[in-house]
Amino acid sequence: MDDLQFRRAIYADPNNQDDDAILAQEQDPSKKQFAQEICQLDEKIKQALQIPVPDDLVDKLILRQTLASHQVQKKKTRVHLALAASVAIVGGLVLNFMQFSSAYHNLGDYALAHVYHEQGNIANNASSQVTLASLNQKMAAFDGNFSQSLGKLLWADYCRFDGMKSLHLVYQGKTSPVTVFIVPKNEQLSFTDSFNDDALFGSSLEFNRSNIIVVGDKNESLGKWQQSISDTVSWSI
Amino acid sequence: MMTKQVRYEALVKALHGDLYRYAYWLCHEKQVAEDLVQETFLRAWRALDSLKDEKAAKSWLITILRRENARRFERKRFDMSEYEEASITDTKSVTTEQELENHWLRDKIAQLPPEYSEPLILQVLGGFSGEDIAAMLDLNKNTVMTRLFRARNQLKEALEAEPVKRGIYNG
Repeated sequence: MDDLQFRRAIYADPNNQDDDAILAQEQDPSKKQFAQEICQLDEKIKQALQIPVPDDLVDKLILRQTLASHQVQKKKTRVHLALAASVAIVGGLVLNFMQFSSAYHNLGDYALAHVYHEQGNIANNASSQVTLASLNQKMAAFDGNFSQSLGKLLWADYCRFDGMKSLHLVYQGKTSPVTVFIVPKNEQLSFTDSFNDDALFGSSLEFNRSNIIVVGDKNESLGKWQQSISDTVSWSI
Repeated sequence: MMTKQVRYEALVKALHGDLYRYAYWLCHEKQVAEDLVQETFLRAWRALDSLKDEKAAKSWLITILRRENARRFERKRFDMSEYEEASITDTKSVTTEQELENHWLRDKIAQLPPEYSEPLILQVLGGFSGEDIAAMLDLNKNTVMTRLFRARNQLKEALEAEPVKRGIYNG
């Protein structure tokens, strides 16, 4: 290791512990002295660099961090609260939807189910009869009016048609009663022209604000029923 | 949560002094150095989970601090006036011979070009090896060694050319 190399190495790192550097120092006392000088210089530099650190810096640093993390936590709790609220709202909506939405998707399905539910309550040859006047009184709730009776009206009353107030009429049919529903229009149940299952047939008439649904067995001519309904019913505005 | 807090406080206690001194020698102003250290530790707190190796903590913090210092210049162009003696840290009356010498040497270190003084501070104050410094400053190791050589060389020459009655200007 020549002198220049040695000096460079020591200047760059006075604590140089490379074998070359140590060997060079041992072989040449002047190099050793130079290395010691630089070590002394380094010691001085080190002392000079040790500027005093403010006493309260540690406290300040910890305080600042505590405040920052407190803010983060506050933000977090706000987010959590918002999340909880959202979940509650969604839960409420789902519950609402499950409780109050209909299990039936169109008028026909519901009408059939309703008729089956009431079947047996009223016999086709029952003696009771409802007058046209009292029918029209009930029809007033739907702003409707029948000009003449469609047949022998066995029973007429309001009922819940999938949660909607509607009028439920039972007429004497040929073999079994014919059911007529007057239902306010609603978007929940889609309108179905005609529907049927094994035993019952039904058809719907669409008016401005109400639907009229006729359900009867296969012996009834629904077309005729529909015709006479549209002929006799009138709607006040 | 608690362990993070404990880690953070340990980190602050162990390294705030080194970091503050390093910051001071980067910017030569006490207040700015303190702000830099605050900002650095705040960032460190947020990213504490990314610090896996506690041994690397010091160089990690210094890297954050250097970035923070660079950001300071992005935000605002400072008037890069010549280093004024008045802003030397220890302007109070110095008493002992040792303190006088420190004062004088600080002046000289502050006058070194930053590319020389920075590796020197990292080596002497931080105890980093040439390789470490090269990695931190994103430089070649030979470049670092050359700069260290020049830094010491300049200081030594200054020390040798030192007037006999140095320090008299303090009066």
